[in-house]
Amino acid sequence: MNNKTYAYDSLTERIKTEWIIYLLAFIFILIADKIGQIRIPVWKGTFIIFPIFFSLGLGLLTGPNVLKILDDKRVKAAGSLVSIAILPFIAKLGINAGANIMTVIEVGPALLLQEFGNLGTIFLSLPIALMLGLKRESIGACHSINRETNLALIQDMYGASSPEGQGCLAVYIVIGMVGTIYFGFMTSIVAALNWFHPYSLGMASGVGAGILMSSASATLAEIYPAMADKLSALAAASETVSGIDGIYLAIFIGLPLCNWLYRKLEPKIGRITKYGRREQE
Amino acid sequence: MRAKDVIFTLIITGIGMMLANFIGFDVSFIESLPGVLVLLCIALAGAGLKAIIPLKLPTVAYCSILGLLAAIPVSPISGFVIESANKINFTAPLTMVGAYAGMSISNQLKTFFRSGWRYIIIAILVMTGTFLGSALIAQLILSVMGTI
Repeated sequence: MNNKTYAYDSLTERIKTEWIIYLLAFIFILIADKIGQIRIPVWKGTFIIFPIFFSLGLGLLTGPNVLKILDDKRVKAAGSLVSIAILPFIAKLGINAGANIMTVIEVGPALLLQEFGNLGTIFLSLPIALMLGLKRESIGACHSINRETNLALIQDMYGASSPEGQGCLAVYIVIGMVGTIYFGFMTSIVAALNWFHPYSLGMASGVGAGILMSSASATLAEIYPAMADKLSALAAASETVSGIDGIYLAIFIGLPLCNWLYRKLEPKIGRITKYGRREQE
Repeated sequence: MRAKDVIFTLIITGIGMMLANFIGFDVSFIESLPGVLVLLCIALAGAGLKAIIPLKLPTVAYCSILGLLAAIPVSPISGFVIESANKINFTAPLTMVGAYAGMSISNQLKTFFRSGWRYIIIAILVMTGTFLGSALIAQLILSVMGTI
């Protein structure tokens, strides 16, 4: 432990650098929670906009690209604050799961097996990525939900500047920007279609990305108020399992499956559109 | 992060949570306090376990499991834990997370606009596919087991 290098020499130095981040966060909480929750019915679903979307949007504006309040060092510091600030929320979800432990046990087998469903994304997204003309980038982009762990994994296996690494990073960034709002909206549409029992949707919310799960389970809690506790318990349990098995699923099934599908499909559908042919040498 | 940095960051997070709970849901700081302390203690214990246990598990896994253990019926403190945590509204802890998350990717806006529409389509499909795949399997197993 003693050989570790820290971002700051002391806590005082941290506070001197980061106070502006805390101040902005408190101001954004005042604004975002004052606006509160907004519901906009769209077709069969409902855009439920939670305060987190407003605070996220305001946060986006602070950086070097727009308002320039934060420099690159502080932007990086905010990243490490996210990983601590999310912990109390995860603890709350754990408590929900514990309080509803009988529901969690009752659906245990489904909870474990639905993890493999997270690989479902490969069959949907890889063919379309190839059609759109992506080559090896598609492997990184489509192998998983592309959160921090997956980004680290792909950079480790293929290198950060490899096509796979770039595909993964691009999807990582896009999900960071639009994921929270899209994931909640998609959940409300799927719920409105009535294809699935709310329990299934609760479990599906835990995809290995805390912020996406919270958006989906907050949406489900609004749609099914009577079952809200049980659903967030299932989402929490599923998210925990995903957090543990996600990286192994990616290494042992996701990436081999992507590579296999790529070899099968790229020569065929990778060249049917002009985008696909253009990028081929 | 050192232990005291984690504690400091968690205290700031706790204040943020109470503020959100007050502004958004009219729950007073005093009323929120026990729940916030419970959540912060579990978060801290989770971060501690992560530092001690040499497994490649994410900190969130420890926090979630500790929260679960504290709240299951056999836990002697489950009543207090559940009741006080219930005072913290579901989305209250998230506003600050969102603020930090937005700031942490605020230097990627240009990359986002440059990455173009193809990656936006793919990201949407990746999210949708992950969700639908899980929902489909969960639905099948639940039907087979007769739970639903």
